[in-house]
Amino acid sequence: MLSRKEHERYHRQIMLFGETGQEKLKSARVVIAGAGGLGCPIATYLAVAGVGHIRIIDHDTVERTNLNRQILHWEQDIGNVKTVSAGEKLRQINPDVEIEAVQVTIDEETAPGLVRNADAIVDAMDNYPTRYLLNHLACTFGIPLFHGAVRGFDGQATTIIPGKTACLSCIFPKAPPKEIFPVIGVTPGIIGMIQANEVLKYILGTGELLNNKLLIWDGLHSVLETVQVERDPSCTECSHIKS
Amino acid sequence: MKVRVKAFARFREIIGSENIIDLEDGSSVLGALKSLSADSNEFGEACFDKNGNVASHVVLMINGKRIGRDRETITLLEGDELAIFPPVAGG
Repeated sequence: MLSRKEHERYHRQIMLFGETGQEKLKSARVVIAGAGGLGCPIATYLAVAGVGHIRIIDHDTVERTNLNRQILHWEQDIGNVKTVSAGEKLRQINPDVEIEAVQVTIDEETAPGLVRNADAIVDAMDNYPTRYLLNHLACTFGIPLFHGAVRGFDGQATTIIPGKTACLSCIFPKAPPKEIFPVIGVTPGIIGMIQANEVLKYILGTGELLNNKLLIWDGLHSVLETVQVERDPSCTECSHIKS
Repeated sequence: MKVRVKAFARFREIIGSENIIDLEDGSSVLGALKSLSADSNEFGEACFDKNGNVASHVVLMINGKRIGRDRETITLLEGDELAIFPPVAGG
């Protein structure tokens, strides 16, 4: 049941998908892996939409070089733990949702317990090894994974429904080389919004997802396009999952 | 035959977003990429690994569809669009 306050807060979107939709959002549990350039806008918009339980995970502390894009971290937060910084802001943005901010490194040991009970996992990471681990767990537990990545003015996103769509390893069998990537804040803002939009549609069961579609954003030319991808029948991660 | 090459991200910065290249009939994906690298060392360095193979992380698409296994040997046809996309990694 939604409270009177919640009715008021979500009035404009209840007009879109009704009380039932809002209740679906309220009972959803979403894990956001990363509280950086992607994680900050994703968490902000899922929180204001009323996603009832958000677990945001990061192991880093805030540095000044983060501030051009990681919008939940401010000058005053430099040197503080990112999850504390993000958690504080998110609770102020919407006190009606539960924010669980977890400071831990996502690795083979910690990750299964962090994602097991989630309805959705959002990839807001900055490296492929951790992305592949999240993909592995998404496939193992049958949890959708919402992928996004950025560099400079460029970005990409896709939605992975294990057993139904290409997984991350089907699309990107090999990781690109590691680098300190250049980036302008609007790029993770745009890609993060696409990921958050996908999560909301998935929870609400509305619209069409980026299933088997890789969305590519070219911010320098303002061109957004999608290309078709498909499951790899020999994929080591997902080929055993029946559709 | 003429083949359209569409480049994304770093590749677009090097060769522009769309190029039409002239290839011999029956040319492969590898042939198209070698032709582009003959015109631009920078493209070659970004596209190929030390052994002269297309770098494993680079995504290739023909007519909007990703190509996987044995991708370098696929024969292109007149009017095909070959797209080259380097996945990005930041977050």
